[in-house]
Amino acid sequence: MSRRKTLRFGDFIQAMSVDSQRVPLAELMPQPLFDRHGNEFPQPVPKMKLGGGDILKILQPYLSTRFMDQARAVVPLAVYLGLFQYLVLQTPVMDATIIAGGLLAVMIGLMMFMEGLKLGLMPFGEIIGNTLPRKLPLFGVLFIAFLLGVGVTFAEPAIGALQVAGSIVDPEKAPYLYTLLNDRSGTTVLLVGLGVGLAAVLGTVRFLRGWSLKPLIFLSLTPTLVLSVIAFLDPELSKIVGLAWDCGAVTTGPVTVPLVLALGIGVAAAAGKGADSSLSGFGIVTLASVFPILGVLILSFYTAYTVPADVIIEKASEIKAASAMASAKTQWHETTPWTEILLGVRAIVPLVIFLAIVLIVILRERMKNASITYYGIFLAVTGMCIFNVGLTYGLAKLGDQSGGLIAAAFTAINSVEASPLYSVSVGIGIATLFAWILGMGATLAEPALNALGMTVQNLTNGAFKKSMLMGAVSFGVATGIMLGVLKLIFDFHIMYILIPGYTLGLFLTLLSTEEFVNVGWDSAGVTTGPVTVPLVLAMGLGFGNALGSTEGFGILAAASICPIVAVLTLGIYVQFKVKREEQKTARELAQTETFEGG
Amino acid sequence: MKRTFTTLTEATLITAVVQSGLGEVITDALLEVGIQGATLHSAMGVGIRERLGAVGVAVDAERDVVSVMVSSDEVDRIFERVFLAGKLDIPGMGFMYATPLMQAATYVPPAILAKYTDR
Repeated sequence: MSRRKTLRFGDFIQAMSVDSQRVPLAELMPQPLFDRHGNEFPQPVPKMKLGGGDILKILQPYLSTRFMDQARAVVPLAVYLGLFQYLVLQTPVMDATIIAGGLLAVMIGLMMFMEGLKLGLMPFGEIIGNTLPRKLPLFGVLFIAFLLGVGVTFAEPAIGALQVAGSIVDPEKAPYLYTLLNDRSGTTVLLVGLGVGLAAVLGTVRFLRGWSLKPLIFLSLTPTLVLSVIAFLDPELSKIVGLAWDCGAVTTGPVTVPLVLALGIGVAAAAGKGADSSLSGFGIVTLASVFPILGVLILSFYTAYTVPADVIIEKASEIKAASAMASAKTQWHETTPWTEILLGVRAIVPLVIFLAIVLIVILRERMKNASITYYGIFLAVTGMCIFNVGLTYGLAKLGDQSGGLIAAAFTAINSVEASPLYSVSVGIGIATLFAWILGMGATLAEPALNALGMTVQNLTNGAFKKSMLMGAVSFGVATGIMLGVLKLIFDFHIMYILIPGYTLGLFLTLLSTEEFVNVGWDSAGVTTGPVTVPLVLAMGLGFGNALGSTEGFGILAAASICPIVAVLTLGIYVQFKVKREEQKTARELAQTETFEGG
Repeated sequence: MKRTFTTLTEATLITAVVQSGLGEVITDALLEVGIQGATLHSAMGVGIRERLGAVGVAVDAERDVVSVMVSSDEVDRIFERVFLAGKLDIPGMGFMYATPLMQAATYVPPAILAKYTDR
């Protein structure tokens, strides 16, 4: 016995989908308020009442997307280093919990710092960039750009890595390197900053006048290379060359590039030069990587002529003795959380004060949404402090450790009992392959490279594909890091990589068009972010120490020139291909015309 | 030759103002339900941050605005779809509305045109 039951299709659809009910919008609106004369007066902003669940629902996507951005860059690298150490070098990661905590601090710190940069510092840069050129003569604008360049260098997260790296240098072997990174580290960073400031000024003038980048590259690189060669010929100073060229890669990070660019583009736009070239954003990064090298080289010459090496060694041993004495009663600002917090505050607060003075005193403007800006600045400072803690205990420790252990693949190292683990040739092969893959992975994960790839694809109307650029840059960085590691293994001087590399780069620059010159030279600075720099620096120093070489710098410098050469070469190939296709179509057209004619 | 001009009837415009980034999620969901095409543009929202207080910093003031024309029979179905895809059940995420359209016109495939001119 079956009974037929009927169901309206509409009811079925209603039951299947979301329940719907109707509420008049008037329920959401407050009653209008009238004073006793019957005039309406403004409503106070009603605060929305939120339950805990709602707050969680709002915060969850906000936090998770920002955290994942950083985790995507850090986690694969850390896993790669850990697995490599465990599987190939057969040594588990030492202090794994401390390093994991440090890496977590890096991710959280960077997440907060980047959000703070976006909310707190970028609005300053945009307002100043848009209004400053209208209120000040060009000279004043350029002066502010110069000061801004100096300020942002101190705020760059990766610059802290230099100081951390400095503590590993042995004063006996490389006295000038030691003094530049320890008791004179402030001066070093200042000179790097002056270099960035000069680059900001020149870059802005370039925007305004529409100069080609090619002569600027030649004019800035030639003295830098000449000074490097002079330093290379001096036995003491030759140890500084690696550091100087590494500084160029360190400066162009997530603070410098957007802030300096915002100012430069604002100036160009105010002069009515903003829209004529989509390339106007490029070039500053290149100059900001070259001038700091010059700055550090000049500082090292000055130091060498004023202070003899023995004095530094003496002073270093004095400091060491003093710190050994003081270790019993360490000052409060020398213990762990406080050092990092001081560094973080010292990095951001002066920049914020400078920006605020420019905004309030010179421009007489008020910040819109002041509370959001305060929140952003608070986030930036807190993020920087947390990042610094993570830098010491996560990135630097991990890089130092794997750098030190990788040497065990082919030589005897005290900490690894079974070392050398492999025969010399296999071991060196493993070490170079390790460095190559590390460079490849670290670069492909860099979000700035993705953005650069999109820009280039649009600029060249798709002739230069995003994947091609990312491939070329990653291949270049990987090869550069590999060359840097080979430099440490065979202990040859970094100049043997830099001179041929930059000569080739300059030669290719002559052959390339303006677009590819801009993209190619900028690609080097873009790729070295706040995660890659400390990791690679620490790895190089650890590796260098394990091998007993004098200094482990220079890997980043090698990783800067190789992508330039790679991108320029690819650019010439793309140009050649486009030209050939044009010729082909021209020939075909000519043929069809003759057919029609005959 | 005299040209004929075709207008579409029974059309409704659905407009959703959502968090920036979610616009493309919505257009993807819309393409799945078979819409012809949609318009996506950016805008700045005002007011919600102040009303939410401290939690407001987590809400992006930048918004995506998605406009899509749908057949009036299907408004309910697609309206719901957009509401869920845009996560509009969370405070501060945005709002949406549907407006009846008096007239609409676009390219109509000849096969469909022929069906209506026969009658």
